Amino acid sequence: MRAGRIVSAVSACLLGGVLVSWGSDALAQADLVGAARREGRVVVYGSLETDVFEVIQKIFEGRYGVRVEYWRAASNRVTDRVLTEARAGRPQFDVVLTNRSPMLIMKRAGVFGKYTAPSYEAFPVATHDPDGILSPSYRVVVVSILFNTRLLRPDDAPKSLAELLDSRWKGKVVMPDPTQHTTTAVWLSNLQKVLGPQHRPFVERIAGQVGLVESFIPSAQKVIAGEFPLGISYVKYVHVFGQDGAPLDYVRLNPVLAEAHHVALGARPDHPNAGKLFIDLLTSRLGLLALARAGEFVLVPGVYPPIRDADKLRIVMMDDLDDAELRKFREEFGRYFLRR
Amino acid sequence: MASGTAQVRRIAGLRVQVDPALVPALATGAVLAFLALYPTVMLFVGSFSDAPLGVAGRFTLAHYAAAYGDPHTYRLIGSSVVFAAGASALSLALAGALAWITVRTNAPGRGLFELVALAPNVLPPLLIATSWVLLLSPRIGLFNLAVVQRLGLPPLNVYSMPGMIFVEGLVLAPLAFLVIAGALRSMDPSLEESARIAGSTSLQTARRITTPLVLPALLAAGILNFVRAIESFDVPAIIALPARIEVLTTKIFREALAEYPPNHNLAAAYAMSLLAITMAFVYVYRRLVGRTERFATITGRGYRPQAIDLGGWRYAASAVALLILGLIVLLPIGVLVLTSLLPFYEVPTRETLQALTGKHYVYLMENDRVARALRLSVTLATVGATLAMLLSSVVAYLTVRTRVPGRGVLEVLAFVPWAFPGTALAIGLLWGYVRFPVPLYATIWILLIAYITRFLPYGLRTMTSTMVQVHGELEEASRICGAGLARTFRRILLPLLRPGFAAGWVILATIFLREFSTSLFLYTPRSEPVGPLLYHLWLDGHQGRMAALGVVISLTSLAMVVAARRAMGRLQAG
Repeated sequence: MRAGRIVSAVSACLLGGVLVSWGSDALAQADLVGAARREGRVVVYGSLETDVFEVIQKIFEGRYGVRVEYWRAASNRVTDRVLTEARAGRPQFDVVLTNRSPMLIMKRAGVFGKYTAPSYEAFPVATHDPDGILSPSYRVVVVSILFNTRLLRPDDAPKSLAELLDSRWKGKVVMPDPTQHTTTAVWLSNLQKVLGPQHRPFVERIAGQVGLVESFIPSAQKVIAGEFPLGISYVKYVHVFGQDGAPLDYVRLNPVLAEAHHVALGARPDHPNAGKLFIDLLTSRLGLLALARAGEFVLVPGVYPPIRDADKLRIVMMDDLDDAELRKFREEFGRYFLRR
Repeated sequence: MASGTAQVRRIAGLRVQVDPALVPALATGAVLAFLALYPTVMLFVGSFSDAPLGVAGRFTLAHYAAAYGDPHTYRLIGSSVVFAAGASALSLALAGALAWITVRTNAPGRGLFELVALAPNVLPPLLIATSWVLLLSPRIGLFNLAVVQRLGLPPLNVYSMPGMIFVEGLVLAPLAFLVIAGALRSMDPSLEESARIAGSTSLQTARRITTPLVLPALLAAGILNFVRAIESFDVPAIIALPARIEVLTTKIFREALAEYPPNHNLAAAYAMSLLAITMAFVYVYRRLVGRTERFATITGRGYRPQAIDLGGWRYAASAVALLILGLIVLLPIGVLVLTSLLPFYEVPTRETLQALTGKHYVYLMENDRVARALRLSVTLATVGATLAMLLSSVVAYLTVRTRVPGRGVLEVLAFVPWAFPGTALAIGLLWGYVRFPVPLYATIWILLIAYITRFLPYGLRTMTSTMVQVHGELEEASRICGAGLARTFRRILLPLLRPGFAAGWVILATIFLREFSTSLFLYTPRSEPVGPLLYHLWLDGHQGRMAALGVVISLTSLAMVVAARRAMGRLQAG
């Protein structure tokens, strides 16, 4: 009986604690929303495609009535602008979102402040930033071989990366130039995990097989237009461009490599509360589900983008390359891609 | 020179010879020095610093060692010169022929030709290059599939050095057309008439009389286009990379700007060689046009523009003009219109054509961001072009018509920022204005300053080449009648220079309307012009929307050109 009373008391305390916690969270959230509304707007710098970003923007503006201003650029330009403004003491951004390598560079430069959104708790601990600055990797971009379904039947497409070296594909594969497109260099370097000892010969030989473009989007577009039947690009474009009827599918590589993306609050934001509120929404279940519907691979168990077999992919995260490693890779392999 | 007459004044009891042009020259010099040197100094200092902007650095030559210690750099400078010279020569040949036919002959349809020729000037080179890839790609090029393949010939390959030169030449042709057409319109035709009376044929007259008369404009257009091509990144980015060709600008991008984080200091060190090349060309140009009297054709004897009667050849002339327009306008814009009507780009088939859609235009109409960007760009184009042309007129007057000491410096100052690739200059502007005490950064004013700073030489070249054609005797008459420097400039010179002013205004307005390489570094979400918007549609893979916006910008530009010409016509009639 006494034990029962203790259990009841503990339960009541726990329940009370939960209620108090929930109540204080709700109050804090209400405070944050009120403060964000008073700030009126939030400025976000990022490399997420505008159409995908607008999905989050519409939810945020509809829900909170706080205007979102988005400055979209390639990730190296985002890095460049953020660092320049921060060093000059005139940061115009409240929130920055892009892929892991540049986010780490900006973090080391001290341009971000600490912020832990309530939603971070739902992410695996392994994805948390021990310094409490970057968000967990709320989405990942998956790289594979895309092919034009009007030019190739799925059975005729290569089944593995090694098959790309076959003479029948010479000049029929397009990929970003790794000497100027960093994610491609990081991807090629990380293929070590997939190809093992065949890694080096693969990188050396693939350079002679491919046509080069500047980034993943032109790569996908050249495949869609039929200029190349095969291309290295992001799997999400199968959905993004497929919505308009583009004849695009992808090779189910096993495993596939992916790069993490993060979001962070500026160290000196003009609209700190609106910035925090935006990060809360972006990394919340609501935000992540919206991103997934737009074609993104998000870190929510059981949630996948509307891409066939997305749920069956075995995704392996790429390791980040620091400046020195990237330089070493380019010195070692760049000459195969540059014809001088 | 009329305005160069020195006046003797007493200053602090001393008799001092004062050139009346000295004060305006000093004021103009101060404005130009600020616009040109501020970002340039930032770049120059950055090229010797071991730290990025905002971080205290030490002097280093490491960036120069990295840039110029690589023997490959010199080979690439050679490739860039071949590319730029080829593209500039092609643009001059096409634009010169087109300008002569449309301005100086009675070829049927010439009024329409002139209007159409301006259209591509408003399109970012990125769009034109993309269109030509869709026309001349060996596998899917429409021209290859529709014409070359049917003739049983091997496909033309845009992914080659001749392909790059061809596309860049077409990109540059409208600018050359504007400069040359402006000069031809300002030309006194009495010399041509004399030649014909003396028995010369139309072609002989064109070769022996017209060409030497418009030589300053040809040189101006040639130099403008050479420098524009050598600093061009768009066409090489689209064509050179798949062709595995490298030029200096692609090397700068790869080694300095595509890095994580971008190495601006290295980019600045590279940019210094382009500055040196351009300055050498400015020097050569100034030497070539130094004997200005040789080209003076607008004199006090009268000024009666009159078309040359080509007789039966006028239809052949129209056919040539149509062929040139087909290359520089109709084919690329046709592909652009087609792309804007397809859900996504693929080689058109009967099936594809059934799927034509207006949804990209609907997107443009429904999107507030597009309307805001268009409003902003039209404002920047009209205000910016007017301010730049007024400044150009003053600088051209001071450098061509006066003997004020240091007048050559004014022209050099105007050319300095233009000598850098757009991206490098944008870095200098960003470095400069982000720390500027007056809060210009993140406003539309920085865009206005950037546009005027970067593109002033276009206005200046047009005004200078027109100004050298106006003989000094008209000003002398004005000065003898008692008019001062400002009054002579306003009442005599400006009306005579109207065709050049209008040509320069149109060049600048159309460039400002779609400028993106500098804007990209300086705009904010609250001040986004159409150039960055176009770029982002491309970046996001929305070729259809980008093409639709390109078409809308072209039409907006043409409307502006027509309005400008009507306004200029009314002023002239008034």
